[in-house]
Order: sequence, then C-alpha cells, then structure tokens
Amino acid sequence: MFEKWIELGLKKGLKDLEIFAVRHKSLKLSVYQNKLDQHVISDVESVTIRGIFDDKLSTVRFEHLDTEKVDQMLDLLIENAKALTVKEPAIIYEGSSEYPVVKDELFDFNQIDVKDKIDMLKKLESGILNNEHVKQVQTTIYQEIDTKTTLVNSKGLNLSRQNTYAYAYAIGVFEKDDDIKTAYDIKLVKTFDEFNVDEMIKTTLDKGTAKLGGKSVTSDTYPVVFSNEMFADILEVFSSIFSGEAAFRNLTSLKDKVGVKIADERINFIDDPLYKDAHFKMPFDDEGVACKKRYVVEKGVFKGFNHNLKTAKIFNEAPTGNSFGGGISTTNLYLEPSTTTFDDMIKDIKNGIYITDLVGLHAGVKTISGEFSLQASGFRIEAGIITTPVKMIVVSGNYFDMLNDVDQFANDLKFNLSGVGSPSVSIKNLVIGGEA
Amino acid sequence: MLDKKILQELINEALSTGADFAEIYLEDTMSSRISVTSGDVTSTSASNVFGAGVRLILGVDEVYGYTNKITYDSILSVIKNLRASFSGKLFESKPLQNKKLYTSHIKRSMTEVSSKEKTDKLQHLNNLISSYDKRIVQSVTQLLETEQNILVANSNGVYQDDVRTYTRVILMAVAKENDLMQQAYEGPGRFMGFEIFDEIDFDQLAIEVATSAITLLTAEDIKPQVMPVVLHNGFGGVIFHEAVGHPLEATAVAKGLSPFVGKIGEKVGSDILTAYDDGNAKNAWGRLSFDDEGMPTQKNLLIENGILKGFLIDQRNGKKMNMDPTGSARRQSYKYPPTSRMNSTYIAPGKDKFEDIIKDTQYGLFAKKLGGGTVVPATGEFNFAVQEGYMIENGKLTKPVRGAMLIGHGKDVLFKIDKIADNLEFGQGMCGSISGSIPVDVGQPTIRVSSMTVGGAGGRK
Repeated sequence: MFEKWIELGLKKGLKDLEIFAVRHKSLKLSVYQNKLDQHVISDVESVTIRGIFDDKLSTVRFEHLDTEKVDQMLDLLIENAKALTVKEPAIIYEGSSEYPVVKDELFDFNQIDVKDKIDMLKKLESGILNNEHVKQVQTTIYQEIDTKTTLVNSKGLNLSRQNTYAYAYAIGVFEKDDDIKTAYDIKLVKTFDEFNVDEMIKTTLDKGTAKLGGKSVTSDTYPVVFSNEMFADILEVFSSIFSGEAAFRNLTSLKDKVGVKIADERINFIDDPLYKDAHFKMPFDDEGVACKKRYVVEKGVFKGFNHNLKTAKIFNEAPTGNSFGGGISTTNLYLEPSTTTFDDMIKDIKNGIYITDLVGLHAGVKTISGEFSLQASGFRIEAGIITTPVKMIVVSGNYFDMLNDVDQFANDLKFNLSGVGSPSVSIKNLVIGGEA
Repeated sequence: MLDKKILQELINEALSTGADFAEIYLEDTMSSRISVTSGDVTSTSASNVFGAGVRLILGVDEVYGYTNKITYDSILSVIKNLRASFSGKLFESKPLQNKKLYTSHIKRSMTEVSSKEKTDKLQHLNNLISSYDKRIVQSVTQLLETEQNILVANSNGVYQDDVRTYTRVILMAVAKENDLMQQAYEGPGRFMGFEIFDEIDFDQLAIEVATSAITLLTAEDIKPQVMPVVLHNGFGGVIFHEAVGHPLEATAVAKGLSPFVGKIGEKVGSDILTAYDDGNAKNAWGRLSFDDEGMPTQKNLLIENGILKGFLIDQRNGKKMNMDPTGSARRQSYKYPPTSRMNSTYIAPGKDKFEDIIKDTQYGLFAKKLGGGTVVPATGEFNFAVQEGYMIENGKLTKPVRGAMLIGHGKDVLFKIDKIADNLEFGQGMCGSISGSIPVDVGQPTIRVSSMTVGGAGGRK
C-alpha cells in the first residue's frame, strides 16, 4: 500500500517523500468500588507523510486511509509546502549505515484473560481500601499498549519498530482530621507477571499515610532535596533547552554555550536510547536515523544540541537521532547517579525540605529563562532525618542556577514514564514560600 | 460517512446482549497550523482525525471502543467485542429521529481563504512584534484552524450532527538583555473562521505581547508572602476554572471527590459571587451547538450570590447522581468516551470599578496576566502561575514582578473574593482532563482575593 502512495506522491511532483505509519492498539480498564467502571478498546492506524516540493518540506497527518483521501492529503501537502517562504534544509534520509538491535521481549498482553486484569485491579483497590485512613480509591486503572511503527521512504528506507507494555495504578484518597491527600504508585511492565499487587498496595499506602497531617512552613531559604521522581520531572520539562530546533529559533539560553561549563562538574546528563533499565528502547528516530548514546552534559560542560536531520544540517553536525513526534526530544535522558545512599545524602541537613510532589509543572516553569515556581509538598528534614509532612508550599528558583548549586546526588536512579531519569538530588539553597 | 439506516442497524446489534444504551460517534476533523518565525513562514502542517467511537452502557456500567475505519464491518467488530461484556434481556432502541439544525455563523472557512492571505496576516503581526524593540530577539506567530465534523446516534433516538469551527492566533515574543531571556504570549481564539481578524484587534495585541516581554526584563522576582491579590479580567478566570469549575464537573461530584458534593443550595462563596458555564455563547471558543452526546448546549447557572446552584452533568453521571444532564458532555475526539466538561466558564460582572479596586488596596499583588494552573479535585488544592504581575503599594501599581505562583484551596478562595469589577472579559485555553484536550473559555471581571499564598524566588538569602 505504502509503495503505491510513494509512487503517487512522486508522480504529483514531490522530489522525495516518507511515510511514517503507527498502528496503535490498546485496552484500558478501570475499576471503581469493586466494579468495572470503564473498559475501552481501540485499534487505530495513523499515517504521517513528509514530502519535499520545490526544496521545501511540509507534513500531513491523517487517519482516513482511503486512496481518495491520500490523494487529497498529498495535494494539501504540496499546497502547504508552496506557502513556506524560508529555505531550510529539507531532507528525506537514505538511512544510517547500521542500526542497534533492541532485544526486548514483545509480550502479548492479549493472551491474559480480561477477567484476570480486572481481578488484579479489584485486588489493588481493596488492598488500598483496607486502611483506616483511606476514605476511598478515586480510580484504579490498567492499560496495555501495543504500537507498531513503520517508516518507508522514496530513498528506499524501510524500517519498523514495535513496543508492547502495560501499566497500572490506583489513586488512594487519604483522610485524617479534615486533611485530605491523594497518593498513587504507577507500575509499568513489559510482561504481565511483573505486576506485584502487594508491593503496589504497600507503596501507595506508605506514600499516602506519610503525607497526612502536613503543615506549611515559614517562608524562607532552605536546603532542598528533590526525590528522584520529582527531579526527573523537572529535567523532563527543561529538556527542551537542549533541542537543536530551540537553538536555531533562539528559544534556548544555551544557544552559544556549546563547550561551556553550565553546571556543577559532577553533572552528567546522558541520552541513551538503549539504556538497560529504561522502559522504552529506540533503535531509530522518527526520521529513520539510528539512535545512539550520547552525553548532553559531561562533567558540567554542555556537549551540544540534540538534532534532527534539519537542525544537524544547519549546525553542520551529524544528526543525533532525536527526531520524535514532529519535533526534537530525548530517548532516555537521565542524570547520572552517584554511589551515595539517600540517607547519607541528607544526614548533614539541619533544617531542610524534602520534596516528593510537584503540581503544575506545565504552568510554573519558564524554560528559556530557567525560572520555576511550583506548588510542592513533601517533608521536613530535621537534624539529618525526614520528620513531619509539609504541604501547600511553593518552591522557586532558577534551573540553571540550581545546576550549579547542587550539594549531593544519591544512588537511587529512577525513570519516569516519559523516559526521563534522575537520582534524588540535594540543592544547597532554594526559596520556599509558605506561611507569612 | 454511514447512513441513518446502517447506524440504526448497528445500534440494534449493540443492544442485542443486554446493554440498555448504545451510542455511535463518527468524526472527521481537519486541522491546520501555519507558523511564522522572525518574518518567515517556517512551517505548515495539516492533520486529519477520522474514526468511530462506540459506547454501550448498562445501568451505569460503560464499555467503549474506537477504530479509524468507518465501515459497517469494522464498527460491527468493535460492537461484538464490546457487547460480550453484557448478557441479559434485549432493550429496544427508539427509532433515530431527524437531525436538528446546528447554528453556524462561520463567514470564512479555512478552505476558502488562500494560504497567501493567511501568511500575510501572520507575517504582518510577526513584524510588529520584532520591530517593537531591539531587545526582541524572537517572534513567533501561528494560525491554528480546525473544523470538526461529528455525528452522534444513540438508542434514545438521538441522531445529530454538528460542525465546530475553531480559529486561534498565537503571538509570542522573546526578549533578551545581557544573559536574561523573558517570554510573553497571547493566544486568542474563537468559534469562527478567518473573520476572527475582523473581530479582534491583533495589531494592538502584538504590541502588548512585545511590551510584556520587555517589561519582564526589568521585573524583579517576587518574595514569597501571604497578601491580597487582584486578579485581572480575562484569563484571570483560570483560577475559577481550576478551583471551582473542575470540582463542579459530574466526573468529580458523582464519585464524591469534590468539596461541593451535597452543597446545592448552600453558601459556598462570598455574597457578591455569581458564576455561569455557558455552552452556547455566540462565537465563543468554548462553544458547541450540540454536546458530544447530541444534546443542545445551554447556559448553566453554577453559583448565585454565593449560593451553589448547579453542577455540569453528562448523561451517565446524571444517572449516578439522579440529576438531569446539562448539555456538558464533551470529548477531544472519537478516541475518548464523553464526560462532563466546561465550555465558557465565568464570574458574572459586579459593581466595582477596576481603578477603585487598585486604589482601595494598600499592599498587594496585581496579577495582570496569568499562565496555566492545576487543581487536584479530591483535595481542592490549586496553583496557578502569574505571567505578568505588578506590586500594589498605597493604592498604586508600582514595580513589575515575575515568577509569582499563587496557591490555595478553592473553597477558601471563594469566600475571600471581596471585590468584583464590571469589566468581564474572556480568555481562551485548551483544557486537558479525562476526555482529552478541548477548547474552553475562562472569564471574569477584575476581582480581588483578600489573601492568598504567593510563592516566588525573591528575597533569597
């Protein structure tokens, strides 16, 4: 089918074109009050065509895959390419010399009975409910996803990659003396038997009960420790500053900082598409460029931008295999951990704040200037140990300053579901807004 | 797409194993995005969302499936998969009725306007931003156009199509001085076509965005403190959207996950507070003629003089709550089952004057423009970022401040509103929740909240 579409595109006058097709199958189940609440099944195939007309590249994406529609979308692509006024490199890739082999198992979650999945959710829900502080479980969710991606182009490239995984979590609502808190623990697996419901129940209950009875703190400057999950979430938001597109568009303050020390010399940011413990492994990016491990920041020095084909050409560098979702992003970006345990890391902190939750990361962050101001909760650190819960505070600072103000790193590297990882990190000083 | 007779057959098939409600939702949507960066047309893209969603319900138990193949066979295969969840007696479908007319005021649809006319407008606005000041190092303008065609048919006889035409213009400026970079942004949108350019003074707006980015270069980080906050009209309404709107959605209320459960008829805010959610405000970004369950949209009273009057309800949650739906069922696309969502949510105008509210404030923060925010419905805690703010000292606006983050509890804030001006305005945004990302308006006149916790990076030791 795709070969015919490519022929059609060439016949219409496109110099080159590429078809990027994704078949996405999913099952989502949710349980509420020991009953199945939602059951959603899907099977959708979508196609993105990138095409070059008159040396200009434009993109169309569609889900209506009839031949008539393809014809119409190709015409639209040509029309849109004509509207471009800028001459930027327009490249359809002939392929890398070799591609890494991903050896992950492709488990067929379909072979597990739906009833077993629902039973697992019911067990998870009832286990969390079986606690004096749990008022209710807001929702209990299981989702399995199977995506197959095919990339075919007029330069003869024909690649495919597939990924299957599932995840589950339950949001517990905890209550004690009018104080309400929610907690959950997301578990992502590559095979069904990796789900350990008892462990998920325990983690959710531990997280939720620990948060109860939290108080604000006096507004002041404190040493601040971010949990591994939260520091990863912050890194994820700021990862756009490493994008070659942002550099080209003047939308990153790192523009002239390649080779310059931008962070504490102990900081290594690594993007590793094949990292052994990562949730997702990538043999090639969305333009067909082979993915490979690279240092984004090494010993505090910014090593260079993440590129797609276009920005690599503009900066006269090799593409880095970071073209994803129509833009530039990372595969498995992580901050390298140290060998220090978490307990050792905090043992010298006399009066600090340990942050385990951040809310509103999409709103309280300015990626260009590095400023952030975020609603947070967590715990006090007093005399080197974690003590009482803290809530309704705002942690503020500047990401670039923070990278130079790191006290220590822990050894507890953890990846979030977007493939960004970090250990817990202690920062010497940050401003905390709380009570007057 | 499929004709009425085939849809009726499919609905009958869906009910054949005991479901008491069946619905088929068909969608064909075209969107386009054109970007101009520093004067050049740098990217164009088009996108088509196409498929069918099938929903079966028994009592309040729901199963949903979707496919991008709108054919009898593929929809039947989804139905067969879904109906296996039910077993019981057969419910009769009501015959599909005739379509009602949807309202369309669209003057110039996306396909009727030439690329040239679109890019000319964007380039003109881009140049206005770039040439405003030497310190503007980047300007981005974008045109986002969407035409969503939907048809919903269900076993209650609903057979309704609707066309939703949305046009939005994004304006962004980045200013740089020494090593400091600041950005400012506006993104007005309407339920209309290209005539949005006749409706809104974009030249004025482009200048405002450029001014805002330059102003932020000289702004100081605000010191964290508890203080009165004056929230300006328009996008300031995001506070009400996050802190009150979401907890009033039936998705939160039906599960008892909202501080407003069981509070209809009770006092939930200060006497001067009245608020609505309007699904049918003319040309509004959050508008639809019919909701995604095929029910006509309406204007819903939420709070009147501080008394809670209503929730936003879809059919399924309505059954759970034993209340009537309010025309508020929405979804991003056929890939989501519909649920209760907001449209154009706003605080009604009061009697105060904007200037008097500032004059009346000895010390506080004037939040002129807000960024996004979040609320955790179960706890009622919310946060939102101030994009452009000024200190109020002795009744006057003084220095610009940046990095302010407001946090609080929805139910406390409503009682702390002590001034409401007469200058109602709307702001536009995309609201993300369980049924996906949808266009909504937030709105309010200028209001004052007597005390809020304000976070910021100032005063660092």
